[in-house]
Amino acid sequence: MINNSFRLRQVWMIARLQLRRVFFARRSLWVYLLAFFPAIIFIGHGIEVKIKRERWGGHAVTTPAKLDSVREGDTEEEVIAKAGTPITDQRFRRRDEEEPERRYMRYYDGTRQVNLWFRSGLLVQKSTSNLIDFEEDRQVYAGVFQYFYLRLAIFFGCLGIFMNLFRGEMMDKTLHFWMLTPVRREVLLAGKYLAGLIAAVVIFTGGALFCFAAMLWPQETAEVQAFWRDGGASHAFWYAAAAALASLGYGSVFLAAGLLVRNPIIPAAVLLLWEGINGFLPAVLQKLSVLYYVQSLCPVPAPMDSDTPALARMLLAPAEPAPAATAVLGLLAVTALVLWFASRAVTRLEINYSTD
Amino acid sequence: MAVYKRGYRRYQGHLTGYWSRLLALPRFAWSRLMAQRLVVIVMMVSLFWPLACGVFIYVSNHTELWQGLDRGFTRFLEINPRFFVIFMNFQAVFAVLLAAFAGPSLIAPDLANNALPLYFSRPMSRADYVLARMLVLLGLLSPVTWVPGVLLFGMQTGMAGWDWFQLNWKIGLGILGGFLLWITFVSMVAMASSAYVKWRIVAGGLVLAFFFVLAGAGAMIDNILRVEWGSLLNPTLAVNKIWRWLLGAEALPGPEAYEHAIALAVMAAGLLWVLNRKLRPVEVVS
Repeated sequence: MINNSFRLRQVWMIARLQLRRVFFARRSLWVYLLAFFPAIIFIGHGIEVKIKRERWGGHAVTTPAKLDSVREGDTEEEVIAKAGTPITDQRFRRRDEEEPERRYMRYYDGTRQVNLWFRSGLLVQKSTSNLIDFEEDRQVYAGVFQYFYLRLAIFFGCLGIFMNLFRGEMMDKTLHFWMLTPVRREVLLAGKYLAGLIAAVVIFTGGALFCFAAMLWPQETAEVQAFWRDGGASHAFWYAAAAALASLGYGSVFLAAGLLVRNPIIPAAVLLLWEGINGFLPAVLQKLSVLYYVQSLCPVPAPMDSDTPALARMLLAPAEPAPAATAVLGLLAVTALVLWFASRAVTRLEINYSTD
Repeated sequence: MAVYKRGYRRYQGHLTGYWSRLLALPRFAWSRLMAQRLVVIVMMVSLFWPLACGVFIYVSNHTELWQGLDRGFTRFLEINPRFFVIFMNFQAVFAVLLAAFAGPSLIAPDLANNALPLYFSRPMSRADYVLARMLVLLGLLSPVTWVPGVLLFGMQTGMAGWDWFQLNWKIGLGILGGFLLWITFVSMVAMASSAYVKWRIVAGGLVLAFFFVLAGAGAMIDNILRVEWGSLLNPTLAVNKIWRWLLGAEALPGPEAYEHAIALAVMAAGLLWVLNRKLRPVEVVS
């Protein structure tokens, strides 16, 4: 008896068969690299902070009050008398010896590092920075998630995963095996899409959450606890949801592109350009992109790079973010529409292995 | 007694010249590429910006058209190294797009169809094959990069006069050298991608990903680790720094131009390694 439940079982069977190919194929390794690369860098940052904390903490830590008492214009001796022995002390002299001697000292008060530059024995510059700044790291994570994760990693990852579902089988000359099975083509499409979606959601949501954990790892325990109390879990949830919905949206577009166009790189390049210039477009046009809805879900707005040219800053006019419900429903509606087009295309699909 | 015996003897006849042998590949490839509508469309679109720059140079050299405007606007209309760097940045993007569309069809089909023995059974080395394929891309990318660049420089020289040329001849050399460096690098990326994945379509995606993902990864490293060396991973920024140095434009913050040149050279060596590894006329099937 062929009913909906039977077709759903067929969909799941196809997805299961396809999942192994999507998750464990050698050609999928780069997708993992894209998804977990930001986490690797954050872990590197964390290791650096931990090492510094351990190394500098081993020295005599200077109290913040003593460091605050150091003023520009103090002599080297005065500074040492006030703050004690520095954790780093370097002297520089140019070969020609015409330039006065320079000296650099670094102090650590348990959370902040204070850098002091001397010239001819006098303190000429004093700068203070936190060894690790939670707020700054959260901003960096927001930037990494929105600029690298959404625009590049998920975009190219979905391009690879979803294009491979049909176009890859066409190039491997294996698509006809699927076509010979007693399965409706729409069911085949749904099964393959489900497999791609599960893989993309697991890999990219996992990558985003792992990266989030790597960002939190070296932070001060008290700050992390305060963050969790103050809606940190909701931040993690919305980042994960944004990654999953981006996979859903881009996945449907690339699956349809793989069916409708012989060279899906063309729609990919057009989409990349469209998403890239998204911020410069009028508000109405900005809403015609996957990025707009996904960015609306992000809990922290992406910071703008300080190197951004003034003209670009002037032209950038991000549209008002959509409410969460609208963003989710909007993406689901777009995905459903694109998949409906894809289902029309798959029924007309003809295998022509010679063209690839 | 053997039931089948076949002997081989090296061809002893007259050989065609080295360059005519080498140029046979680009000749056929160019005609095939120019038959592709998409390549022609991208080429046409990429010529709009040089056209706009030409109009800008014309307006800039006709002071009577903008008399009475404030000093800020006058400075905006100045033709200087910055103007040419902006021009080059735009054209560099088109060069990448063109290479992504046209490059993958150069080597991938030869590898996918095991056609390399057909090439290498002729008096052609692997280096010759790579050079011939690279000539295809260099020939295709030249009309959108250094050719309009040199034409614009010539136009500015013609309108501003000999004195301007004497002061700014380095810009012309910088445009030529900078673009040649860029299109050689882009061609190597396209060929290495084409050889690495064997599939034309995937190779196109890889070319785009190479430039965009490396740029993103570089910026990400800089921001997370609070360093500046991450930008060395970004080939587009690297070549921009080198162009600024060549043209004498204001340098961007971060690593010096020579450091970016070393980074580009390392990437190029990696791409050559991929080509050397993948372009083999035999394949051992285990």
